[in-house]
Amino acid sequence: MHREVYALLYSDKKDPPPLIPTDTQQGYKQMKAKLGRCCVRPWKWMPFTNPARKDGAIFYHWRRAAEEGKDYPFAKFNKAFQIPKYTDQEYQSHLHDDKWTRPATDHLFELSERFDARWIVIEDRFDHLSHGKRSVEDIKDRYYNIVNKLSKVRSDPNLSSRAQQSYDAEHERKRKEQLNRLFDRTTEQVEEEEMLIQELKRIEFRKKEREKKAQDLQKLITAADNSSDLRRTERKIIKKKLPITLSSRKKDPEGCMKIPETGGIKFPDIKQSGVYLRSQKKKTKAIEHLLDELGIPIQPMPTDEICQLYNDLRSDMVLLYELKLAHANCEFEMQTLRHRYEALAPGKLPSTSILTPASLSTLTKATEKIEEKAESNTPPELPSSPSKVKKMTEIIDVVATTPQSPSISVTPRFTLGETRTSSLPPLADFEYTTLYSFPYSSTIYCTLTKDLVPALGESEFMYPYSVLCADTRDFLVVLRTLNLYSGPRSGTQDFYQCLLHSMNPSI
Amino acid sequence: MERPPSSIKDSSEKKYIHDTSSILYPREHMEIGHPLKDGMIEDWDMFESTLNHIYKRHVQSDSSLHPVLMSEPPWNVRIKREKLTELLFEKYNIPAFFLSKNAVLTAFANSRASGLVMDSGATHTTAVPIHEGYCLQHAIIKSPLGGDFITKQAKNFLTNQKIEVLPPTFIASRETVKEGQLPIFKRKELLKGVTQSWQDYMINTQIQDFQSSVLQVSDVPYDEDTVEQMPSAPYEFPTGFNMEFSSERIQVAEGLFDPTVIKAPGLEPSTMLSMAHIATSSVHMCDVDIRSALLSNVIVTGGNSLLLGFTDRLQRDLSLKTPQNTKLKVIAPSGTAERRFSSWIGGSILASLGTFQQMWLSKQEYEEMGRGCVEKKCP
Repeated sequence: MHREVYALLYSDKKDPPPLIPTDTQQGYKQMKAKLGRCCVRPWKWMPFTNPARKDGAIFYHWRRAAEEGKDYPFAKFNKAFQIPKYTDQEYQSHLHDDKWTRPATDHLFELSERFDARWIVIEDRFDHLSHGKRSVEDIKDRYYNIVNKLSKVRSDPNLSSRAQQSYDAEHERKRKEQLNRLFDRTTEQVEEEEMLIQELKRIEFRKKEREKKAQDLQKLITAADNSSDLRRTERKIIKKKLPITLSSRKKDPEGCMKIPETGGIKFPDIKQSGVYLRSQKKKTKAIEHLLDELGIPIQPMPTDEICQLYNDLRSDMVLLYELKLAHANCEFEMQTLRHRYEALAPGKLPSTSILTPASLSTLTKATEKIEEKAESNTPPELPSSPSKVKKMTEIIDVVATTPQSPSISVTPRFTLGETRTSSLPPLADFEYTTLYSFPYSSTIYCTLTKDLVPALGESEFMYPYSVLCADTRDFLVVLRTLNLYSGPRSGTQDFYQCLLHSMNPSI
Repeated sequence: MERPPSSIKDSSEKKYIHDTSSILYPREHMEIGHPLKDGMIEDWDMFESTLNHIYKRHVQSDSSLHPVLMSEPPWNVRIKREKLTELLFEKYNIPAFFLSKNAVLTAFANSRASGLVMDSGATHTTAVPIHEGYCLQHAIIKSPLGGDFITKQAKNFLTNQKIEVLPPTFIASRETVKEGQLPIFKRKELLKGVTQSWQDYMINTQIQDFQSSVLQVSDVPYDEDTVEQMPSAPYEFPTGFNMEFSSERIQVAEGLFDPTVIKAPGLEPSTMLSMAHIATSSVHMCDVDIRSALLSNVIVTGGNSLLLGFTDRLQRDLSLKTPQNTKLKVIAPSGTAERRFSSWIGGSILASLGTFQQMWLSKQEYEEMGRGCVEKKCP
């Protein structure tokens, strides 16, 4: 018979079957509360013995009648800590210690058993009057010594199977002493410590930054070294058997891969919209300008070989440009440091050779190398009269994107970061240095010495005075405010000219 | 084991009257007394009579049917413990007995096995470190600054203010007067034989009422300007005299936290420890490993801690005295009963544990080992 049909005939509830189908089974119609079907389980006041007790004392409690005679359920929680015991003989032969008498040891073991090896409580309850003053470390030391000795001496598997419990009381004592000192610090001490930690963090941060800078420099230098070496050997091969090399070059992509990816510059061969860095734009402009100066078309005839060489040349130029940047950067840093040094200890400035950092000299070398190589890298097919070709160093100018013609004579009243290396005395009366500190952010630092701005008086600025400008335009603003420049607020192009003009109208 | 004071009628044979309500009735030659001194049982006759009273009036059952768990102060001495054990087994024929330190029971009542119990009671304030259910007896700090001290201070203050404090029993009739005006009342003719101790007790009870409804501990050290801004509390004495108490109500209790301001004869202010000092010095005497555990479980208990602002001030003072990198937590149950009878609550928790049943000192064990067994069985 189907369940549903059966349910119609025989059901617990005597209600008639519903007329409309419903989801709810019972609804609120159940008349009688259905509690557990079990009958009442009675409770009984009964005696019980606790197996955990040794004396078998009888206590009474309420319990279900059904559970009469069963074990006391909480007896199983009676876990005791096993403290090893020693015999008289064992004590005399092995456990003797000059610092501990037998009664003191006995007392210790009795307490250990009573307080389940809670050492702090044991130390508290230890009879210090009759057994001498003992610290927690003394007590633990003695206890673990005995346990270890017993386990060594005995063949008792219970004890010997236990791992040796090492306890270094001396170490513990030192640790606690340190903790104590830590706990007893005064507020001033805590504050001082915090201050020192912060200072340390700052120093470390600076150190890291410096190291990072040095690393970047090193990378550049090695890149320059590598590429020049690589190219030189390559060039030899190319000169010998040009056609084969070209074909082999195609087959060997690794050779192409070896060309260092300096600067990560994107050449906007086709003007595209998109994200670019301002510094990159400047770089590109500089390269374009240099190409122009060298008489190389920006988009040369795209034959295989020309493209290859052209790309090599361009990446060399970028590398050269970056090296120059780094070089100028270092020079500037040195300059500021010198100024600072002089301000702190006037007249004690050591000779420049000592001050010149190693990185600077290597940089200079690297720059020269690249220069030489880039010159030799100029595609021979391209029309370039040697008279027209200037030294690339002169063309690539870090100070401004406008070329600095070498013929411009700079008055001894000021020096530029770039021209400072010329015949001018290293520290002129007034000097300012501009440079791009990092490849990706065009920043100008300028250091002004006192003589430049006599109008300002002495009180307002500390000389040498360093300004950080975001742009050449900013720099102009600074100069304007210092009444050093009255020319137009022009952009980057004729900045240098303007500057020169303002400094020395005769040019 | 603390009980309300019992009274003694001094005659050829002493008669004891118990309970807080029945001793309020004036009786001839009735002296007020307390069976405990310094938390320990001092007057054994009175104590026994108190026990009789409890069994007869409150337990209403034969003492041989119920095991007894009693609390004791952590500094209880061996002789007294043994005497108590003997008394209960021999005289009351109890089936089993256990003695536990009240500080430990307080910790249990706050569901903690370790912690520092700050017990500010009537006669003294103590700081007792508890480690894993055992109290560390060498690091207990006691100070007499407690509820009785505050009562004394309040009494001094009221005497200086020329305010007469009389309990309602002493007054026949009174008139309503305006605030701060001299009271107009009639004294009741007291029974001739009423003792001085009973009168003192009645007056002290009245002052304690004043204490609990007016006094307050300020959150910060006493300072005239900040105190001026605190709200004042009105109080009417049974004589009909009523007044608003503003800065005085803070000044009286300040001595607990800054003993240098105490100006009472008989108490040397310089030697007193403030509440926070008691706690920190107790912590300092413990092993350095458990200090942070103690500081993160500071349990406040005792009737005197019910003084308004007591725990807040304690928390503030303690946080100034504890190192910055340690966590500080002051635990104070909010209920009045939980503070006053915390050891009873802890005892009730302990006795209903299934595993506790093996810890009882049974009558058999007592008979075998004698009364010395209490020292071994009850730590």
